Amino acid sequence: MKDIDCTGKTSRVINQEIRHHIQAGETEIHVQHPQARHNLGVAVLQQVSLTMSGSVGYYCGGLIDGPRIEVQGSCGWGLAESMLNGTVIVNQNAGNSAAASIRGGTVVVRGSASSRAGIAMKGGTMIVQGNSGYMTGFMMQKGTIIVCGDTAEALGDSMYEGRIFVGGRIADLGNDAVIEEVTNQDQEFLATTLAQYNIAAPASFQKIVSGRRLWQFDKKDFDTWREAL
Amino acid sequence: MCGIVGFLDKSGNRQAAVGQTLLDMLSALDRRGPDSSGVAVYADRGVDACVLRIKLGEHGPFETLADVVVERVKSLVSVSTVDLQGPSLRLVVTPPESPESLERAIEAVDSSIEVVSLGSRLELVKQVGSPANLEATYAVSSYVGTHGIGHTRMSTESRVDLSHSQPFWAHGRADVAVVHNGHITNYHKMRRIYEQQGHRFYTGNDSEIIGLYLADRMAQGASFADALQTSLTDFDGAFSYLAASADSLGYVKDPFAFKPLVVTDTPAYVAIATEEQALRSALGDDFPVWEPGVNTVMTWTVEDGVDS
Repeated sequence: MKDIDCTGKTSRVINQEIRHHIQAGETEIHVQHPQARHNLGVAVLQQVSLTMSGSVGYYCGGLIDGPRIEVQGSCGWGLAESMLNGTVIVNQNAGNSAAASIRGGTVVVRGSASSRAGIAMKGGTMIVQGNSGYMTGFMMQKGTIIVCGDTAEALGDSMYEGRIFVGGRIADLGNDAVIEEVTNQDQEFLATTLAQYNIAAPASFQKIVSGRRLWQFDKKDFDTWREAL
Repeated sequence: MCGIVGFLDKSGNRQAAVGQTLLDMLSALDRRGPDSSGVAVYADRGVDACVLRIKLGEHGPFETLADVVVERVKSLVSVSTVDLQGPSLRLVVTPPESPESLERAIEAVDSSIEVVSLGSRLELVKQVGSPANLEATYAVSSYVGTHGIGHTRMSTESRVDLSHSQPFWAHGRADVAVVHNGHITNYHKMRRIYEQQGHRFYTGNDSEIIGLYLADRMAQGASFADALQTSLTDFDGAFSYLAASADSLGYVKDPFAFKPLVVTDTPAYVAIATEEQALRSALGDDFPVWEPGVNTVMTWTVEDGVDS
């Protein structure tokens, strides 16, 4: 195990040290005192374990393919943005646009997620143990979002595909987001997935998918579009 | 970009190191915009006095003009302290009956003059340059008090000079000040309405209208918290802003969550900043933070937590 102390270092230097240790064959790296710096642990393409012993700033774990990143504090905007594969776990709250545009892998937020969590997801899974903010799942195209708590306004607004499961209250659904019945297969998936991260499942879930009405432009839908844009 | 910060001590300490805390937070954010910086620190000095900060102009020398201004002020209220620092004149005076008429009388001396702040608890300093420069000029780290707000600016649409720097005092309303990150997109429309009512604008900066709006609402009888609340529907655009009054601090977060803001609310203090880095580098790692939800307002007063 290697320790990197962030004190007095820029994100660029810290990321270079992470890369250097990985190249030397290290598989477990602890990043100490990150103090909410931006861009930590970006573009790591190996199956290593990174622990951030505090809060991180914007884009932590962005563009990764393979590693397991645990953030012991909270995180800023764009957590794990465009991740291809891997696991990113945040023990406290997440900022705007967590799991933005991920293509695979799993993002777990043990606290609550802010606005636009799971925006434009193209695969993978995002789990929010607490509540999730405004426009969760906005324009998502594929993948799964699981929110154990409540969701704020405009859930799943303009989603193309994918599915969102909500254990708590839904403030309101976004444009063209519809509620669908939860299948036995879904139940099994939820139980297995949440157990994997030691998250107690809520009593029941609601499932939200795309109504697919916005896939093509229909003059009758003009008002819906106007609101969506 | 721009970075905004706010801090309020809840422990009942009237001499908290507010200046140092704001400066530490701003220093962590100065890369978000080093064009200009400033702080507004609130302290209960326990005396019935009013602090005036007056900008004499952009280009010196200012000594003669300062003398004329001081004479004018002396004809209206008693002056106990006169301090000239570059273009910035600081006076301690007896509280005026009408802050607005005092302000107008001072600004009538010369068109280059702007009353930058006025209040019984408010000390507002700002200038072109980074937070480090602000400290070098005004020793902000030595300011103690109950709460305060700060700003570091990246200008996007208007000039870079002292007047366009933030915090903005809410002209005409003692002790109310604002720092803003974002854009008020119905600024021109609102400005025309205010100008028709006779309000003066000092800058081409859309953020200036927030203070004016709050002062106007409060003059009509709204509380500080109510004025913040109605601003959510009266302003269009993407904005996160902080406002402070003699005893309160509050944030307002736009209906789209386009501008960042993080908050922590501990038994000892409330701290708010554009980025978490500011909170961590100024106050450590031992508290949780969250991003306020869309369309939300929250206010605290210096009495919060004191007796609880």
